[in-house]
Amino acid sequence: MEIEEGNTSNTHRISKRTILFGVIPFIVIGAMVVLLLNSSGVLFQSSIKPLPEISIEKVQFSENNMITAFVRNTGPSEISIAQADVNDRIYPAAVEPGRTLTRLADAKVIIPFVWNTGEPYTIGITTDDGTRFDKLVNSAAAAPRPTVGQASTFALIGTYVGIIPVMMGLVWYPFIRRLSPNKYNFFLSLTAGLLVFLGIDALLESNEIAVDNLAPAFNAQILIIMVAIVTLITLLYVSQRLIQRASKRSKPDIEYKTEYSSHPEPDLGTRDMKSTSTSFQQQLLIRPIAISMMISIGIGLHNFGEGLAIGAAVLLGEVALSSFLILGFTLHNTTEGLAIVAPMAKSRRIPVAKLIIMGLIAGGPTIMGAWIGGFLYSPIATVIFLSIGAGAIFQVVYSIGSWMYHTNGSRGLLSNHWIIIGFALGMLIMYLTGLLV
Amino acid sequence: MSYPRIAVLFGIAISIIVFAISTALYGKSSLSDQNSSKLNTFGGHTPGYPTLQTTGDVLDPTSFVINPKTAVVDPMKYLREFNYGKLSTSSNGTVIRDFTMIASDQQTKEVSPGVFYNVWTYNGTIPGPTLRATEGDTIRITLINNGSKFHSIHFHGIHPSEMDGVFEGIAPGGKFTYQFTAEPFGVFPYHCHMQPLEEHITHGLYGALIIDPKKPRANADEMVMLMNGYDTDFDTENNFYTVNGIPYYYMHHPIQIDQNRLIRIYLLNMLEFDPLNNFHLHANMFNFYKTGTKLIPDEYTDIVTMNQAERGILEFSYKYPGKYMFHAHKTEFAEKGWTGLFLVKEGTNQSINENLNVTSIRNITNYSTTDFNKTSGLVPTGGVN
Repeated sequence: MEIEEGNTSNTHRISKRTILFGVIPFIVIGAMVVLLLNSSGVLFQSSIKPLPEISIEKVQFSENNMITAFVRNTGPSEISIAQADVNDRIYPAAVEPGRTLTRLADAKVIIPFVWNTGEPYTIGITTDDGTRFDKLVNSAAAAPRPTVGQASTFALIGTYVGIIPVMMGLVWYPFIRRLSPNKYNFFLSLTAGLLVFLGIDALLESNEIAVDNLAPAFNAQILIIMVAIVTLITLLYVSQRLIQRASKRSKPDIEYKTEYSSHPEPDLGTRDMKSTSTSFQQQLLIRPIAISMMISIGIGLHNFGEGLAIGAAVLLGEVALSSFLILGFTLHNTTEGLAIVAPMAKSRRIPVAKLIIMGLIAGGPTIMGAWIGGFLYSPIATVIFLSIGAGAIFQVVYSIGSWMYHTNGSRGLLSNHWIIIGFALGMLIMYLTGLLV
Repeated sequence: MSYPRIAVLFGIAISIIVFAISTALYGKSSLSDQNSSKLNTFGGHTPGYPTLQTTGDVLDPTSFVINPKTAVVDPMKYLREFNYGKLSTSSNGTVIRDFTMIASDQQTKEVSPGVFYNVWTYNGTIPGPTLRATEGDTIRITLINNGSKFHSIHFHGIHPSEMDGVFEGIAPGGKFTYQFTAEPFGVFPYHCHMQPLEEHITHGLYGALIIDPKKPRANADEMVMLMNGYDTDFDTENNFYTVNGIPYYYMHHPIQIDQNRLIRIYLLNMLEFDPLNNFHLHANMFNFYKTGTKLIPDEYTDIVTMNQAERGILEFSYKYPGKYMFHAHKTEFAEKGWTGLFLVKEGTNQSINENLNVTSIRNITNYSTTDFNKTSGLVPTGGVN
């Protein structure tokens, strides 16, 4: 125990009595736990057997005349699976690893069945107390198998949807560099608009998956908010540290555009830096790149979630992958590259290699997401990754917002009509390109 | 170390975490992972469907034998078991048949392999025991209510109001003796008539009463088939359909019959929720005696459709040996358990059919109306003896 200087010692010394008060709650709660678990229901006896619950998380159709349902016991107690059916007609099936499922355990129910491509099927699972749970698949399609060919197809889709559009967005870098301050603000707020749209989209998307595919036992909706908030505050912390460290180490001989020097810098990241005008000037130069890097990471996380969704959609037969769909995603994602370069427009020249690295960080995860989503879809993982993506995106929006606030100084953000128009237009662009998907 | 490099490292770190979380989530296997050494075979009943092997458990009500200790009924025993009661004779020479029925409603039994359901039963089985008497006998049935709710027995047929089992429920722990004259001859369902009627019936309180005509029907291999269903998840739709209580039972235990032997089936429908049920016989035709109240068949057919509580008698014999299916020709019911098999064994008894003088509807067209009435055994309206 550290004792701060200047404080009286007895406020921080722990007496035996204090220890006792610290321990009593644990003893009482421990005793309650022991009592409740060992009284075998004497205290709070219930004659009502808890209702069983099963979630059919995924249904997979295989080309060798087989339907596989991935089920999880999301009820309060152990259950046993008694029967499987297809379209409410009983069929022989196997359940692996076994028919008895402890709470939250999962199993695979394999039903040999000659299914037809494109037709809807309802898969039903009946538990030992006769309760039937079912899941409708709107259009049966053969699950992609993890072959080299299929993996390359997903990689190609990921390249089209993630890497190419982000890179194309980056190509606008020289163009953005030559913009006047107002137009620059316009593009920055456009970026913020795009990202806010993406963030809300990710939250809605994960909510939809949570409602459709996850049992209430997972509390998935609160999980979404939780993960998004934790991601947001963690990334805020990380980016502040990143900026601080970079500021300390950077050399002071960098070229600097004087137009921003007159504004004060009240940023949290500089609080304990003994702010001098030199370090502040460095800060202004370093921050855009750091912001861009954070945007790349945030978009990377988002695209990972998007890749999962694309792969899963193919796997679940919800989407027939068409060139049109891929084109839609490509247009939609081109704006993401723009988001990355916009904050760097007024800093010194960025080497092409760095831009490419940022592009890969932002776009590359789409491929990995498509692989995982396509071959090993799990709704809970998809929800978590989409929420992380949303949190990451809101962190980026915050960074852009605070950057614009400082560079605009006393004028304030909402008094500049270029910023308002840019923000609105950013969301509109996403909405319109989103219609294509 | 420069800032972009830190950022790149940070990006890589996040990717690794993301990958780790995803593999952890996807790779997680069930806690009940055990005895993976044994391989079970499943599937393959239908041409074109693969036979597969699994390290897990097989779910297959079409070929699984239900555990007789927990099953709600032994369908093979029920099929040919007729209870004639404890016999005695009254002072005027009337045959008295005494039966004891025990109603219960708190047991949970297996209704399909692996599926346990709170069954309400007469004498512990669904369907309840088949009671059998001859027209004119006095039937006395003592109902003991071992359940937690009011129960009764309502018999179809002719009897006084107080023997109808509708207005007087038997309280838990109570006892009542129903007494009436067995009339007319035919096939009759019996069931609990307490409210809510639907609940008491769908849980299993029903069975068959057969009243034979005074001049017995021709000698035959006789069996009872009662069609029912189970709504195990209480959504007013049946999850299982059966004949004689266990889905698919006669698929893995085919009913063995002899070639050319007259088969007589007392068929009843007690299915709740679905308005219709039916019986279809493969590769054969049968004479159908609606309600069994006549000795002349109503129809020569291979399918008969019944509403709840409708019943009749089927008579047929198989010309060729082999396996023959019988099932509801409402295919939904067939594919949810109401399917069975006859296994016709090469006949040793070629002559039996000739001795039996089986009447087919095809050769009764010359029957006169008076003959028809004389043999029908119909009782005049309001005639209670």
